[in-house]
Amino acid sequence: MVEISVKQNTLTRPQRWDSPFDSDMTKADVKKLLAIEEIAAIKADRFPARISLEGILQNDTRIVAFKKGELVVREGDYGNSAFLILKGSLRIVLSPSLPGAILGRSKEHKRGFFDAVSQLWTSDWLPETRDPDRYGPTKTGAAKNAASTRIILQDIPAILDKHSTATINQGALFGELAALGRIPRTATVLADEDSELLEIRWQGLRELRAYDEGWRRMIDERYRQTALIAHLNEVPEFNHLNDEEIQLVADQCLFETYGSFDWHTSFKKLQNRSEADEPVIARQGDYPDGLLMVRAGFAREAVNHGTGKRTVTYLGAGDNFGMFELHNAWVNTNDSNLALGTTLTAVGYVDVIRVPASLLAEFVFPNIDAPVNMAEQSVGKSQSNDTLMQWAVDERFINGRQTMVMDLNKCVRCDDCVSACAAAHDGNPRFRRHGKTIDHWLVANACMHCADPVCMIGCPTGAIHRSLSGGTVIINDDTCIGCGTCANSCPYQNISLVQISDAKGNGLVDDQTHRPIMKATKCDLCSDQIGGPACVRACAHDALQRVDFKEFTS
Amino acid sequence: MANRYFLACLVAVIIAGTVLYIMDQMELNLAKSEILSGYTLLGLIVFLGAFNVRKKLSMLPLLKASTWLVFHVVGGLLCIFLFWVHTASIWPDGNYEIALSIIFYLVFFSGIGGFFIQKSNAIKLTETGIEVIYERIPAELSEIRERSEAIVLECTKTTSSDTVANHYIATLAWYFKRPRFYWPTLLGHGNAKTWLRNNQASVTRYLNEEETGYFNQLIELAELKKLIDEHYTLQDINKKWLLVHLPLSVGLLIISFWHVLLVEVFAI
Ligand code: HEM
Ligand code: SF4
Ligand code: SF4
Repeated sequence: MVEISVKQNTLTRPQRWDSPFDSDMTKADVKKLLAIEEIAAIKADRFPARISLEGILQNDTRIVAFKKGELVVREGDYGNSAFLILKGSLRIVLSPSLPGAILGRSKEHKRGFFDAVSQLWTSDWLPETRDPDRYGPTKTGAAKNAASTRIILQDIPAILDKHSTATINQGALFGELAALGRIPRTATVLADEDSELLEIRWQGLRELRAYDEGWRRMIDERYRQTALIAHLNEVPEFNHLNDEEIQLVADQCLFETYGSFDWHTSFKKLQNRSEADEPVIARQGDYPDGLLMVRAGFAREAVNHGTGKRTVTYLGAGDNFGMFELHNAWVNTNDSNLALGTTLTAVGYVDVIRVPASLLAEFVFPNIDAPVNMAEQSVGKSQSNDTLMQWAVDERFINGRQTMVMDLNKCVRCDDCVSACAAAHDGNPRFRRHGKTIDHWLVANACMHCADPVCMIGCPTGAIHRSLSGGTVIINDDTCIGCGTCANSCPYQNISLVQISDAKGNGLVDDQTHRPIMKATKCDLCSDQIGGPACVRACAHDALQRVDFKEFTS
Repeated sequence: MANRYFLACLVAVIIAGTVLYIMDQMELNLAKSEILSGYTLLGLIVFLGAFNVRKKLSMLPLLKASTWLVFHVVGGLLCIFLFWVHTASIWPDGNYEIALSIIFYLVFFSGIGGFFIQKSNAIKLTETGIEVIYERIPAELSEIRERSEAIVLECTKTTSSDTVANHYIATLAWYFKRPRFYWPTLLGHGNAKTWLRNNQASVTRYLNEEETGYFNQLIELAELKKLIDEHYTLQDINKKWLLVHLPLSVGLLIISFWHVLLVEVFAI
């Protein structure tokens, strides 16, 4: 941390800005930005001294130029920044989506029978061999080093011909939904002409929304009109309402964010991970004023027990909190205890929608059965029952949807699972039979195909992505540049970088720096194998499963 | 799992029943019923051996290995039954037949033994509370050894006394050298525990407070090594029994085919 005496007219820089988004941002750039209409309208005096508007512009934004035809964001990417158009105009590809090959994705395909069998003799001898010819800019559009990972589409007229698109111009903000809500980009955006954009990372965007009324209204309104209405139409509590009523509910919802979007970086450093360090969203004993619906991320529901708290369950996207107590208050108006029976804390990062109680009384309660009382339910369960759940939450394994869990009382430690994985993956297993244990369970170091895939944030080429079918997290070997961003971001150490070799087993090196060419590898759920996950099928003792902890612990 | 065992048993009973019934009919017609039991037995042995092929072809959708194991185990039991039916005795006459029987029984009993050893070892391994990958054990042990030697050296240096060092050279050095107490562990005896306890008791009375501190660190490492030793023994046996079962089953297959060939060519 930089610390210089006040006499020199400087101050201790807030930690958050120790590593600015772009260290090349100059004071002149900031000045220029302050003159722009959308930013000039911001009331700078509303910002606290430590998080000044200038500071945000200086540290949380960068100015990026895009050439005509260049992709700005790719559909399906997990971005953590939004963009404001400073100059020029962009095109949003509405439908159909651009083909995966253009976006750096791998083709989804299953091997044929012969191809599958041939792994017997192609895989075993030399691990991680590749045909060097398959890489390079010509084939995929993605180049080899990080500096030139951008993709420029040459034939824009052809795209306009085949895809319906919309134009957005100077002054427009986009990408904020994906940046704040931790959801994949919903559309691809490319530069229609040479353009200049202000890229705002999520931290700065969150502050702008927090301290400026205008930006908050703009961001929230856009969310309300698009995603929220769609969400309300899907959830069982509200989907019986007509459009007008949905709009009415949407208009009164409040949005709240808890915890850190960057939870994975702090999580890796923390030794002691318990609910004591988690931001409280609602506290046991308080009176609820609205229903909390989890929009993204995870929250822990716990009940006071002894001097600590016992985890009862955890909530993910689509779950809600406080329904029992609110319903109870509506039914038994003179019940003396209407307070919350459990505490809700943010596990990592969580985004919630607060629906005011009055709306529930009008639209929801008359149509539902009495909800479950989580606090009461937990009393019936033994303490050891909860231990596995508590542990899964503490270790953030709840993020996984295909977590590899081994029953150590059944596992004979034969490593057939590891061999099967190697046989299906260039002779190199994509997981280790090693990991965290509790009781007789082991969670192995295998990609869990998370609900919140933090590994995807910041991949410069879009090589790590979610498959369109099934949501498996996959790395496209052709476009991976081996920068290691994903491996560093994975809080569970489930991604490894390996050096690749040519067919003779000679390690491939960069022709300029002579440093080894690396590729990120991890479990891909055997997405190209005809039989599905080889590990699960290889275990003769039914010791290995791929699970979602919610189902596993219930 | 239980359902699959039930299904496999049902299939086995049907096969056994059908074979016995047809053999009965054949005998009424004065045909050689051993032909049927013999070929069924051969088919079954081939099926049991195919488990190895299934393991090698893990990338093909050839049913889960656990399903294979269920049918393998029940198939093995059916096998011994058919073997008795086929030879009409538990121990046949004739040198060649005796050789074949020895191998057959070895494969069979190694299978049964291995099955239960594996199941019980899995739980014993969990009980240790640690997990080590078999191939990593030598590296883990040498790391422990280096750490223990460093502790002894430091103890000698800082306390200027060689009691711990002498004791180490006389006893613990042996213990840390390589995996110990293999057979006692296998038989479920607590020799390692007793040895360590005695080892500790025999020297602590001669140590001052500072030396005791170092010695306790050594004992902590020794306790850890005890757990790794247990892993070594139990995982080793989990692997080694297959070294009996698998090659012998290949031998059984070869001899069985040879036996069929002899019967077909010379006996008729
Ligand atoms: C009698 C004829 C038998 C033959 C020809 C036979 C053959 C085989 C073969 C080829 C394997 C695969 C080894 C490998 O590749 O790892 C195997 C494994 C095995 N067999 Fe047998 N077997 C026989 C009987 C039995 C019996 C009666 C049992 C009794 C329970 C049995 C239990 C097992 C077990 C537990 C495995 C290892 C499963 C594993 O851990 O993956 N076998 N056998
Ligand atoms: S699903 Fe496939 S890639 Fe993933 S660990 Fe299992 S065998 Fe390996
Ligand atoms: S295949 Fe099954 S029994 Fe063997 S090591 Fe893997 S999980 Fe354990």
